[in-house]
Amino acid sequence: MSTSESQPKFKIREEVDFVIVGSGAAGGVLARELSTNGFSVVVLEQGLYRTAADFKHDELDVLINNGLMDHPGWNDPQTFRKFETETAVQIQGEPPPAYYARGVGGSSVHFTANYWRFHQSDFKERSLLGPMKGTGFADWPISYEELEPYYTRVEWECGVSGQPGPFDAPRSKPYPLPPMPVKSSGVLFEKGARAIGLHPQPAPLAILSKPHNGRPACVNCGFCMGFGCEVNAKSSTLASMIPLAEATGRCEIRPLSTVFRIQTNDAGRVTEVVYLDSKGQEQAQKTRALILAANGAETPRLLFLSESSHSPNGLANSSGIVGKYLMGNGHSITQAAFEHPLNEYKGVQVTRIVHDFYENDPARGFYGGGGMDARPFLDSTPILHAMTGLPPGTPTWGPEFKRMLRHYFTRKMSVLGSTTSVPLASNNITLDPNLKDGKGRPAIRMTYMDHADDLAMATFLQDRAVEVLGAAGAAEIWREPVEGGTVQAHLLGTCRMGNDPATSVVDKYHRAHDVPNLFICDGSSFVSSGRGQPTMTIQALAFRAAEHITRFARNGEI
Amino acid sequence: MTNPGNSRRKFLKSSGSVLGASWLAINMPLVVSASEAATKNKELGAGFENLSLEESVELSAIVDQIIPVDETPGASETGVVYFIDIALGSFMSGAAPMLRQGLEEFQQKTVSAYPESTGFSGLSFEQQTEMLKSVEDTPMFGMLHFLTLCGMFCLPSYSGNREEAGWDLIGFDHRHAWQPPFGYYDANVHGQVPAGGDDHEHI
Repeated sequence: MSTSESQPKFKIREEVDFVIVGSGAAGGVLARELSTNGFSVVVLEQGLYRTAADFKHDELDVLINNGLMDHPGWNDPQTFRKFETETAVQIQGEPPPAYYARGVGGSSVHFTANYWRFHQSDFKERSLLGPMKGTGFADWPISYEELEPYYTRVEWECGVSGQPGPFDAPRSKPYPLPPMPVKSSGVLFEKGARAIGLHPQPAPLAILSKPHNGRPACVNCGFCMGFGCEVNAKSSTLASMIPLAEATGRCEIRPLSTVFRIQTNDAGRVTEVVYLDSKGQEQAQKTRALILAANGAETPRLLFLSESSHSPNGLANSSGIVGKYLMGNGHSITQAAFEHPLNEYKGVQVTRIVHDFYENDPARGFYGGGGMDARPFLDSTPILHAMTGLPPGTPTWGPEFKRMLRHYFTRKMSVLGSTTSVPLASNNITLDPNLKDGKGRPAIRMTYMDHADDLAMATFLQDRAVEVLGAAGAAEIWREPVEGGTVQAHLLGTCRMGNDPATSVVDKYHRAHDVPNLFICDGSSFVSSGRGQPTMTIQALAFRAAEHITRFARNGEI
Repeated sequence: MTNPGNSRRKFLKSSGSVLGASWLAINMPLVVSASEAATKNKELGAGFENLSLEESVELSAIVDQIIPVDETPGASETGVVYFIDIALGSFMSGAAPMLRQGLEEFQQKTVSAYPESTGFSGLSFEQQTEMLKSVEDTPMFGMLHFLTLCGMFCLPSYSGNREEAGWDLIGFDHRHAWQPPFGYYDANVHGQVPAGGDDHEHI
């Protein structure tokens, strides 16, 4: 663990310009932008300050024991239910429903780094397709064209490797770096996809294929999905943005700081942020303005925890929709084995994708769109392979089990389909009425069941995956059942953006409709889900938000 | 959701009735970092910290049913029992009472089935397999199955996966850097990595 020596130490009783809650994909960008623009910034991060030197190829710690995810210091459990009519149950000894990393850099540290831009249609599907009864299907208050310059900034300033494909939205600048070297899964996927008339393309990844911005190229070690990068080639905000924020001398990263209340005054403005420090002691940081970038589960939780006589349903929640319209992206998994070794444990996860089915197509008979990619998925590391990698019906112990482990590990790959999520008020984050964390904060309760159209789209993509893998010459293909997701790594939509304060939480500049000096910018701002890889858009939104917030601050409009 | 979470959860659910409610109840200690255990790396042949000698003998027989000896080492020779010993004293300490009770009941069941035997480890390989099949759905077996896979394939610093025997078994070559080609199917491609950059229309 380390912190930069250039970091200032702000006094908690003296107002800073901005407190940012969360140091992840959005928070890291906002910290860098606002401190660079001359403002004093304190970033409150509940996790540890790890750096590349702290990350290890330790599957047991990282993937089995959730070493990068658990709350340091005390247990912070979650509950889950599919429907609001059910009583949520505590999830223990299993991955949490809201699946995110804690630590400086947030989930950008452990992500797989698929960086798809949205298409123009993602921002205006309600206008293009018409209403969907009983859902929150809506347009964004901004367009792709408005966001495009910020997508470009993400690619160049955070570092994205890729090559444009035939279905991509227009871009103003090339990728800064060529795609990552193709893996056997990518070669096979490309061969199979072309054979059935599809148009595979190199996967855009927030991983450096060549040195960039003073950071080294990826060494293809293979410990990518779920792990922290040991060489800073993965473009987490820990590697790309946080060092730049610290170098301004105006940004303090305060790890092991767990926020539990936002204080407001009688005028309805945020005055200070109350948090527990590394010793569990209560502290309060005064601030002129607050930015929540805590992710789509923690952000609504904090708003609920900050209820007051002025805002009895939670801060910034006069609309009553804080926490609602949670979207996680539907998925389907299709596994395959080939005759010869692919050795998918080497290198990044994904090197080829297919976007032929990105757009909605009425001929399918249901709403939705999605993308497909080729990857080792859970066969990139030995323990998860042994637990999940063998075909159905294979013995799970004994001599035959051992022979199968030996045969399959190097010969496996998967095709993942990822889809739209219809925004539903009944899919949401709330405070659990009974369960509390180790410090008495009500636990996150997730209620989630994919819409029938999302599951239909996932199945459609799985059908295509079977065709692609067959055309690629797979020796064996098997499907994982398509069913409602119970673990969500994409936490989207719970404080949606919009022009109407009755139907949205923040305006098009991420300012809370109800609270003039509160901004919310993370996955919670999304109005629609995209097609399964949201982090690129989270970061583009953060660059854009920082520009507008800077303008407001300089004009005395906060 | 494109994370290890859903599938791992599904594994945990499907692998048993195996795990079930008991699994949930005993896993709270997972919040204790597993890495603490790494500092207690034990040499083969060293004594156990948490297991009795008798327990270690029975556990060796059980884990060798899960990953048996053939032309390559089985689980016990790979250090899995040492891994379990360390795990039960650290990040899996909450599982110890359930495991002990389960083993005791299993031993009683074994002696009832084979009154002339001294216990599970004294049975033939085939007899052991039959006995274990009868408890396949118990939390005790689920936990030992889970720990065996963890101990077989973890970093050797946890005392399992001795001399990387687990990784050798499946063909996992642990290095800190790789260059393409990676596998059979991309061997012909490299040298022709796409040049990258932009061949697409601009706004």
